[in-house]
Amino acid sequence: MLATTCTGTIKGIEGFAVSAEVDIAPGMPTFAVVGLPDAEVRESKERVIAAVRNSGFDFPVKRITVNLSPAQVRKSGTQFDLPIALGILAASEQLSPAAIERLKDFLVLGELALDGSLRQCAGVLPILISCKNLGKTAVIPPQNVLEGQVSSAPFITPHTLRELTDFLEGKLSNEQVQISYLPQEEEEIAPATVDFSEVKGQALAKRALEIAAAGGHNVLMIGLPGTGKSMLAKRFTTILPPLTQEESLEITKIYSICNLLGKSKLFSQRPFRDPHHTISDVALIGGGSTPKPGEVSLAHHGVLFLDEFAEFSRSALEVLREPLENGIVTISRAKETVSYPARFTLVAAMNPCPCGNLGNPLKPCTCTPMQVNRYKSRISGPLLDRIDLTVNLNPVKYEDWNKASEGETSAQIRERVLAARERQRKRFGNSLTTNATMTNRELKEFCKLPDGADAILEAAMRKFGLSARSLDKILKTARTIADLENKDQITTQHLIEVMQYRPLDRKGVADF
Amino acid sequence: MNPSISQQERFARIQLNAFLYFRADWLTQLIEIFGSAENILRQNAETLAKEANISFTTAANLLKEAHGINPQEEWEKTEKIGGHIFVQEDEEYPQSLRNCKEAPIALYVLGKLPSEQTACVGMVGTRKITPYGRRVAAKLAEELAQSGVTVISGLARGVDSECHAACVRLKKPTVAVIGTGIGRCYPPENHALEKAILANGGAVVSELPFNRPPNAFHFPRRNRIIAALSQPVVVVEGEVKSGALITAKLALEMGKDVLAVPGPIDSPQSGGPNSLIRQGAGVVTSTADILDYIPQQLRFGLDPRFFEHTQEIPAKPEEQLSAREAEVMKAVADRQVSLDQVAEAIKAGVPEAAQLLFELEVKGFLACENGLYSKSKF
Repeated sequence: MLATTCTGTIKGIEGFAVSAEVDIAPGMPTFAVVGLPDAEVRESKERVIAAVRNSGFDFPVKRITVNLSPAQVRKSGTQFDLPIALGILAASEQLSPAAIERLKDFLVLGELALDGSLRQCAGVLPILISCKNLGKTAVIPPQNVLEGQVSSAPFITPHTLRELTDFLEGKLSNEQVQISYLPQEEEEIAPATVDFSEVKGQALAKRALEIAAAGGHNVLMIGLPGTGKSMLAKRFTTILPPLTQEESLEITKIYSICNLLGKSKLFSQRPFRDPHHTISDVALIGGGSTPKPGEVSLAHHGVLFLDEFAEFSRSALEVLREPLENGIVTISRAKETVSYPARFTLVAAMNPCPCGNLGNPLKPCTCTPMQVNRYKSRISGPLLDRIDLTVNLNPVKYEDWNKASEGETSAQIRERVLAARERQRKRFGNSLTTNATMTNRELKEFCKLPDGADAILEAAMRKFGLSARSLDKILKTARTIADLENKDQITTQHLIEVMQYRPLDRKGVADF
Repeated sequence: MNPSISQQERFARIQLNAFLYFRADWLTQLIEIFGSAENILRQNAETLAKEANISFTTAANLLKEAHGINPQEEWEKTEKIGGHIFVQEDEEYPQSLRNCKEAPIALYVLGKLPSEQTACVGMVGTRKITPYGRRVAAKLAEELAQSGVTVISGLARGVDSECHAACVRLKKPTVAVIGTGIGRCYPPENHALEKAILANGGAVVSELPFNRPPNAFHFPRRNRIIAALSQPVVVVEGEVKSGALITAKLALEMGKDVLAVPGPIDSPQSGGPNSLIRQGAGVVTSTADILDYIPQQLRFGLDPRFFEHTQEIPAKPEEQLSAREAEVMKAVADRQVSLDQVAEAIKAGVPEAAQLLFELEVKGFLACENGLYSKSKF
């Protein structure tokens, strides 16, 4: 006999419906899954057999064929366990005809444990959102209840296979198979555990991060070990504007696909990702034979912090260029092409030289100029071009470290950032464009050179060797500084300040 | 060019010159033994080894290296970029270098070498220059150039570049003895500087075959040419074990005066000069200290004002500054300070401090390196 269960899977960050057709025919006992299943889907056979038996049903010793349709699209994920198990129960007539009829109103997702209980599976949120128009009630594991809540689709959350079949048979009521998610109040308003006021000294770096937050610019911090690079980066999310509903949903989708959602974690804070420098380029950007989002997508609408920037493999750094430019990662494989959003702010940190002491007034650097050059040249020009702000961090003096008065708090800085973002929103007419991502046309329109700028830029080019290419970036950053000061026009003062954030543009040779 | 030397002999010298694993004076001796360079190249390895009393392997290597060079091509390529190849018999070959024991048997020259009547001062130092070294090198080289002295250095990073750049700024000639073949610039960022040296009547000199890439052993070797061309030699900064000290040692062996710029005793870059001073080298505290060592016969035409040990102190740069800028200069003092420190010292925010530092840097009072500001003028 034949049975069809509706389920779903993901492609990129979008979900789509899949029907799991199960046919049971007499013949040699086999159990085959067709329809481009991935390794994890093929393994579901074993879980299904055990779960069906351990739930008190018989596993039919017959020729079982499972087809996941549309058959030409690759299927991945463990959510097919439950629909396959239900299909087998229906096709072997262990469910009543009424229950089988009722099953048609459900979209079934869930991984099965061997004892028949349901386990969390990945990608529930995007599937629920995409399949909302089917008008079906979703069956999801209780651990995925948050995603059901967020999707605002009707759903039930049985704990076990048996509970679900009992419900289908009418033995259990709707309420009995539904747990509801109550957002814990205190967690929503939980204050950030870190604050900018804890960072002593480093006024220039703090200012640079404020500008970065206000204009969506990428930052590179170059400093001696122990000068607070990581400390500053970790506090960067605390001065970013809060997430909008839409942004939060997008992030939750990505985390859902990666099965990284905690039990009760709604994204009210922007994500902060700090992968280790040994990361492979696929882990960073996403991919794999069945593409998965990488760290850049997990940092979507948040911060990607790359500590020891120069130690990352060359290929890993180069793949960052596309998402930094477009805010999107497109992964093309022979079988399929998927896109993941990756609109993040890059905060990178590196030592000034391999030994880490270059520019330290107390400890001499033991590197040769050649080694220093080689170290710096690991960051390629095209990548540096995408980083608007670079700051040198110097050791904090004891007086600063021990100072009783604390610096500005994150809340104070955030207030200015929010005002600057608001100005940008009004200017660009949307909240996605920031000064860092404005187009050339917008640059021409909104970033007019002030009077007297010629002299400054000429001096900067002559003295520092600034290239004409960096001029656009200087203007964009100057625009953000003007926004922070609530000015309509960029002034020469703003341009001069930006020069401080371009130390790597300086030529390293004696001027003549 | 000396017409008594045939073109074939020149070519043979150019070929022999490419054997860098031999000291130049050994090559000169070989030429004496065989009468001419041409004659050497006609020998096979066995006779060469026997006659010259060298090992067979060395003789074979020498011949292999020499025959690996196409002298016609060397000559044409050098002429094409406006250079010349001189042998010791040519009158263009610098007399001071000819007098040196290890004079190269062929010298590649781009630009114009200073005449024998020109006072030449060698300035050498570390590639890892400190702000102090930068200030001193620039000031001394500038004043030497103004007084009419030609500064000789090695076009390396750090002190060398600072010295050449100072002369070029004043459009005065300077000589760079490089550790690569001519036609190639190392370090690459000094390409523009090399061009500027040539444009201002200076010269670029090398004993290495055309376009030869840099190699670690080239640099100590070329130092003897710097020492030979100069009198005296000034060591600005350098570690105790450094190329600058090799030059100083070679200069002493040639009977040249070695002068050293004293520096802080805890700065590794001043370790070299300080140890030279301990061993009796002349102390440089002003340009006049250097000019005192210029041979009498070369002093004609030098600006006498620079010989005064009590030069009138130039107007303090601070006087041209605004009150706020002067505060910044005071905060910088003789240290290396970050923007944060300046901002705190003058009680200003980041934007104001950035503005002041920018103005001062553009005016040339401050230099910035790795985010640290230091004085760039005395």
